[in-house]
Amino acid sequence: MSTIRLRSPAAFWLALPAGLWMLLAVVLPVLLIVWVSLWGGTTVSPNNPITFDNYQRFLSNENYLWLIGDTLLQTAMIMTITGVMGYCIAYFLTVKVTSPGWRLALFLAFVIPFWTSTLIRAIAFVPFLGVNGLLNQALMGIGLIERPIQAFLYSRLGISMAQVSLYTLLASGPVVYMLNSIPPALREAAMTLKAPPIIVFWRIVLPLTLPGIIIGQVLVFLNVLADFITVTTVGGNKLAFLGNLILLFYEGSQIRMTAVVSVLLMLLMLAGVAIALRIVDIRKVGS
Amino acid sequence: MHWKTRSRLTSWLLGIVTIGFLLFQWAPMFTMFTLSFAGENGGTTFPMNGVSLHWYHKLWEADLFDDFKPPMLRSFLLALACSATTVVLSVCAAQAMRGRFRGNGLYFYLLLLGLMAPGILVGFGFAILTRLLGIEGAWNTTAYVVHVSWALPFGFLTMLAVFNRFDPRLEEAALTLGANRVTAFRRITWPIILPGIIGTALFGFSLSYDEYARTLFTAGSDGTLPLAVMATLDRQLTPELYAIGTVTTAMSLTVIALCVIGFWLRARALRGRPS
Repeated sequence: MSTIRLRSPAAFWLALPAGLWMLLAVVLPVLLIVWVSLWGGTTVSPNNPITFDNYQRFLSNENYLWLIGDTLLQTAMIMTITGVMGYCIAYFLTVKVTSPGWRLALFLAFVIPFWTSTLIRAIAFVPFLGVNGLLNQALMGIGLIERPIQAFLYSRLGISMAQVSLYTLLASGPVVYMLNSIPPALREAAMTLKAPPIIVFWRIVLPLTLPGIIIGQVLVFLNVLADFITVTTVGGNKLAFLGNLILLFYEGSQIRMTAVVSVLLMLLMLAGVAIALRIVDIRKVGS
Repeated sequence: MHWKTRSRLTSWLLGIVTIGFLLFQWAPMFTMFTLSFAGENGGTTFPMNGVSLHWYHKLWEADLFDDFKPPMLRSFLLALACSATTVVLSVCAAQAMRGRFRGNGLYFYLLLLGLMAPGILVGFGFAILTRLLGIEGAWNTTAYVVHVSWALPFGFLTMLAVFNRFDPRLEEAALTLGANRVTAFRRITWPIILPGIIGTALFGFSLSYDEYARTLFTAGSDGTLPLAVMATLDRQLTPELYAIGTVTTAMSLTVIALCVIGFWLRARALRGRPS
């Protein structure tokens, strides 16, 4: 017995508004993109025949294929870096820091920027990475470099640094959750049975946190693949990834081409999520 | 969790990675805060050429083209509306999930879809939809609908987690004692889930307030603050942008601080209550 009766009509009616909202604002628009990408003819109109011409035109351009490969490469790189760093930070915060006060303070320092604007955080990288920026000043101060490094800003290096800073939390959060749900007894049992720490980590901790790693990687994958803000602000429009291409076509009023790139982006994302679901069963994680 | 530390070396290494990352994460923001107080002749990078409130002053007295105040007001109102709507919809949806209605598994994935679908796709798709329907996009109509669809999955998951940890015997007790379902919800359920509701409201506000991609496609002619910031950045980077960045970040931090204080006061009040 609870304030809602099982399988009652009330439950259905309560669920309806949010469900309809998502159908109207997310599902229908995404389906429309697929439809628009198939519009043929010379003018943009729903009355034209359905064809795959737009895809053929897009995929026959070698530059665009390179751009897709480049985006995937960048995504893989950021996934690797944020995955390793995120795991280290999660492990340190949950396992190694034993004082509750310190843990809370470090955790807040880690999480708080997530609640501020991504756009502003990306813009903040411009004065940080610039020729007279803080990073160059600091490196020169330590004596590591003699002259400021120009390649930090408006380059792939700068974009990658900003993306690592923005997305490491996504890779780390699910791992923190999984680490917290491991019963300490498991580790103690292994220790009692004389397993060295590295074996305990490899055979017990790592497999139990694997779902967290995978979920974190999916989140980073989805975000980096569609990221265009970091590329425009820190990259200074010198580079383009798939997200920027969508925006370029849209600003050029090439609606059907925008739709084609959007559908390809969607397919890449679905493929990524499908691979992740083969490795872990996400529904089991919450229980 | 209190695991005995065996290896000091790994502790040190992991600690260095963590502290290094935290410094790296905060350093750009501090650079921006510092440079926003640059002198009148200060540029967008060091040296600052003095310390002043010049750029904040300029922000306040901005002319017609660079005026950040109307977009900021729009963003604020939109975020408030999005926050309120998200709270109502996610409480209803999570309460409905407890009723295990037919198709609730599919429904769960439907709501999660909003979390997975990137803003650039949702925004573009919604722009097509409004164009086909012949509706003119505006910040307080089309952008509002899309913003709620972005915050809703976060609120829904938060409320689901709250209801999962909820002790149903408390409701049962109220119902057994003769309260009807509405009264039991109002007097028992609502106060218990209130922290989750504050969290949901926070998500609803900050996700909408900071959203760029979804707004870009749906806001029409009168943009929100992130759009105004991006438009200014496209023209030229000035310390004025740092000032606006500092102001919005300060606002976000204030909202978070208020929520944390709220949680703390509530926890203290509950502890002081005789049992």
